[in-house]
Amino acid sequence: MNKLSVFIILLFASLSASASSILIKGADIYSTTGLLPKSNIYIENGIITAIGRSTPMSADMEVDGSGMSITAGLFNSSTHIGTVEVSAISPTVDFYSDNEAVTAALRIADAFNPRSTLIPHNRVHGLTHALLVPESGTNLFSGQVGLVQLGNQPKVIHNSLAVALDFTESGVELSGNSRAAALVQMRQALDDAKDFSRNRKAAMAGDHRDYVLSYADLAALEPVVNGDKPLLVKTHRASDITTILALAKDFQLQLILSGAIEGWMVAEEIAKAGVPVIMDPIHNLPNSYESLGARLDNAKLLADAGVTLLFTGMGGSDTHNAYLVKQSAGNAVANGLSKSMAIAAMTSNPAKVFGASVSGDIAVDQTADLVLWGGDPLELTSEAQLVLINGEVIPMESRSFQLRDRYFKRLKKD
Amino acid sequence: MKKALSKSLALITVMTLGACGEMAKDSVTISLPNKNPYPSTYQTPESPAFALIGANLLTGDGAELTNTDLLIENGKIVAMGPALELQPGTIQVDASGQWVTPGLIDVHSHMGVYPSPSTSNHSDGNEMTSPVTAEVWAEHSVWPEDPQFEKALAGGVTTVQILPGSGNLIGGRGVTLKNIPSITVQGMKFPGAPYSLKMACGENPKRVYGRRNTLPSTRMGNMAGYRAAWIEASDYKKSWDDYVTDAQAGEDVDPPSRNLRLETLTGVLEGDIRIHNHCYKVDEMAQMIDMSKEFGYKIAAFHHAVEAYKAAPMLAKEGICGVMWADWWGFKQEAFDMVRENIALVDYAQACAVIHSDNPIQVQRLNQEMAKAMSAGNRMGLDISAAKAMRWGTYNAAMSLGLEDQIGSLAVGKNADIVLWTKHPLSVYSLAQKVWIDGNLRFDRFDKSVQPTSDFNLGIISAGEARP
Repeated sequence: MNKLSVFIILLFASLSASASSILIKGADIYSTTGLLPKSNIYIENGIITAIGRSTPMSADMEVDGSGMSITAGLFNSSTHIGTVEVSAISPTVDFYSDNEAVTAALRIADAFNPRSTLIPHNRVHGLTHALLVPESGTNLFSGQVGLVQLGNQPKVIHNSLAVALDFTESGVELSGNSRAAALVQMRQALDDAKDFSRNRKAAMAGDHRDYVLSYADLAALEPVVNGDKPLLVKTHRASDITTILALAKDFQLQLILSGAIEGWMVAEEIAKAGVPVIMDPIHNLPNSYESLGARLDNAKLLADAGVTLLFTGMGGSDTHNAYLVKQSAGNAVANGLSKSMAIAAMTSNPAKVFGASVSGDIAVDQTADLVLWGGDPLELTSEAQLVLINGEVIPMESRSFQLRDRYFKRLKKD
Repeated sequence: MKKALSKSLALITVMTLGACGEMAKDSVTISLPNKNPYPSTYQTPESPAFALIGANLLTGDGAELTNTDLLIENGKIVAMGPALELQPGTIQVDASGQWVTPGLIDVHSHMGVYPSPSTSNHSDGNEMTSPVTAEVWAEHSVWPEDPQFEKALAGGVTTVQILPGSGNLIGGRGVTLKNIPSITVQGMKFPGAPYSLKMACGENPKRVYGRRNTLPSTRMGNMAGYRAAWIEASDYKKSWDDYVTDAQAGEDVDPPSRNLRLETLTGVLEGDIRIHNHCYKVDEMAQMIDMSKEFGYKIAAFHHAVEAYKAAPMLAKEGICGVMWADWWGFKQEAFDMVRENIALVDYAQACAVIHSDNPIQVQRLNQEMAKAMSAGNRMGLDISAAKAMRWGTYNAAMSLGLEDQIGSLAVGKNADIVLWTKHPLSVYSLAQKVWIDGNLRFDRFDKSVQPTSDFNLGIISAGEARP
C-alpha cells in the first residue's frame, strides 16, 4: 500500500463522517471466531450488516483495505483518562483524593471530562473504550471503577462497575505498613458493610453502632459484600494474590485481580477461582520486593492456565497513551501468547467482563466499534487508518496533529 | 595538606624552550589533577575470529544491505561485503535471511543509579542537596548488579550512558558503559569515552529548590544559578591556566587548590566533557544555547526534547543532537506539546535525531520506539526507511556521545557490537537473538549458558531458569 492511498483514505474518512453506509474491502478481519483473511465488511447506519462475500459492492464510503486489518476498537482496562490533563498539575488530577473521609465512595466517573485533550489523542490511534480506575490516596479502598466510551461525544457508560482496593506495597503503606494490618482493615470494612446492609435504616437514623467508614463508603461497599458488584484488587506478590483469593472466598465476593505481576506463580489458583486479571504484560523487572517474579511471559502462562486476561499498558503510559495497550499486547505475543488471545484481552474480554455497550467483536448485527489498521494489527508500524466508535466514524483530529501541522509548515518554508 | 594534595596530582614534565631555540637543560614540573582517577578496567576478551554469513543489515548509518557477510576479528569488524573469502577454519554463523543491526545505544539511562528493586537503599541518582553538584559522578552510584542491565542486553542494548537525575541545575557527571556483567563499574566503563555533564532546564530544579525557599524557584532563577556556576568555573580555569603559564615561565608557583565541582565545569570549558542537557522546551533551548556562547562551551545534546520539532532548525545550525522519546507526554506542562512525529521532523530538518529511553522498560525495546517514531513520520508523508530510522538508536546516538568513530554502525574498523534479531528489527514480534559486544557473544536467547543474570537474582530465579 502506498502512502498516497493512505492519504486519500484519511481524507475520505474525514469528509465522510456522516456516511450512512461504509464498505471496507479486502482487509484481514480479526473476530472472536477467528481470522477472516481478505474479507469485506459492510456497515449501515453504524451497524455491521454483512461480512465476507455477501456484502453489497458499493457504499457511500468505500475503503480499499487490502494489506490492512480490522479489529474491534481497543479497550484499555486500567486508565485515568479524562480525569487527568497534566499529571504534575494537581488541579487537573482527579483520580485520587487526599481526603481521608472519602474512600470506597469516591466515584472517579463523576470527575470525567469529555473535553480532555487525551481523548482525541487516544481515539485517533484506535482506543475506543477505557476503564477508569481510581487510585488510593489515603486508604486501601480507592473508590469506584467507571467505564467510558471515547467516541465523538465521549461519555460515561457505567459510573460504578466495581470497587477498587489497593493491596500493593503502596496500599499497604496507607494501612500502617503491614500486610497483616491491611487485612484487619479489609475484613473490618467488609464486616461493617454487611452489618450496615442488614441494619441500613437504623444506621442511617443514627440508631445503630458506629463504623470506621462513613455511610457513603459503606453504601458503596454494600453491593460488593452482597456479591452484586466485583471488588477489584490491585496486588502483585504471589502470596498476596493467594491471600486475596481466600478473602474473596470467605466473604463470597466477586473478584477481579489487577496487576498480578507474579500471577503466573499461582495461575492455577486464579483460574480455579474463575477470577479475571487486569494486567500489563510488559512488566519483567523485579521493581519491588512484591514483584521479584516478574517475567515477560506472565500473560502466556496465565492464559495457558485458563485465566481471562484484560490488558492495560504500556507501562507508565497507560493514560496519556492508553492506546499503547496495543504495544503491550504485541510484546505478549512476542513472548508466547497467541495473537487472538492478545487481541481479545483488549477488545472482547473487557467488553464482556465490564458490560460495554459494544461487544468488542467484529460480527454481523453488532454496532461497528472497530479500527482499520495499516497492516498487522499489533505491529507498531500499522497506523489506525479509520476508527469507528459506537457506529460513528471519528475525525482524525487531535491537538498533537495540529501542533505537528503548524510546525511542519514552518520547517518546509525554512 | 600540601603533601596529600600533590599525591593526587599527576606530574607533568614540560621541556621549556631556551632563548636560542634549543631545549633548556632544566625542566619545569607542573602538577595537574589526574583526569582519569577511576580508570576503566575493561579489556576486550580474546575470542576467535568468526563470520556472520548472508545477513540482511541495517548498518546504523542509514543503509540497508542484503545478503552480506561480516568478518569479526579481535573485537572489530574487519571485512564486510557479499560472499567474503574466509580463511579456512573461520567460525561461520549462518545468518541467511536474518536481520542484523549494530548494538543499540541508550544515551539516557539511569540503570544502576535507579536500579530495580527501586528501593531507597539504592536510589542514588539525584544528589538533591544543592542546585549545582557538578562534583558528583554517576559512576560512583552505579550498582553493577542492577538486574535492569541484563534485560537491556536481551533487548540488544550494548552501550549506555548513565546520567544523574534532573533535580539539580547541574547534576553531575555521566558515564558511558559497555553493557556487560561486571562486579565493578570500572569493569563496565567504555575505555576512553568522553565524560558528560548533566544539566537540567525547566520545571524540575525550580520545583525541588523552590519548595525549600532557595534559589532557584523560577526559570530566571535557573538561569542565574547556571551562570553563577560558569563564572566561578571561568575564574577557576583561569587560576589553573595562570599557574601553568607561570610554572612554564620558570616561576616557583604552587598549584591552586582543587575544587571538584569547578574541575568538572572546567572540563566542559576545555572541551573535554560533553554537555547532555535535560531540556524540553524550545524557548529554554534557545537560552541554553546563548549561555553556552556567553561562557564558551558546546552543548552535545538536549534530552527529553519534547519540543525539538519546534527547535529543529536551531539544532541543525548549532550541531546539537535532539534526544527524544517516541511518544511520552503530559506528565508535566513542559511535556504537553508532544508530537509523535518529533524525531521524524528533527531528522527532516537535518538535525541529529536520537531516541532514548530514560526508563528500564523502554530500554529493553528501543527498536520498537524507533518503529513508532518512523511510523508516525511516514503517516504524515515523510519517506523514512527502516535503515534511516535505525540511525536514531545507533549512529546518531554514538555521535551524541562522541563515540561515532568506534560504535554505532556496521563498518570495517568499528567495534563488533552486533545484534542478530529473530525478525525484522522494527517488528513488535522481533527479539534480539544474539548480542555481541566487541566480538564477544554476551547474550544468546536460545542458549541458557549465554544469558547472564545478576547476583541479586540468585535464589529468586530458580537454577537454570531463563526468565524473559
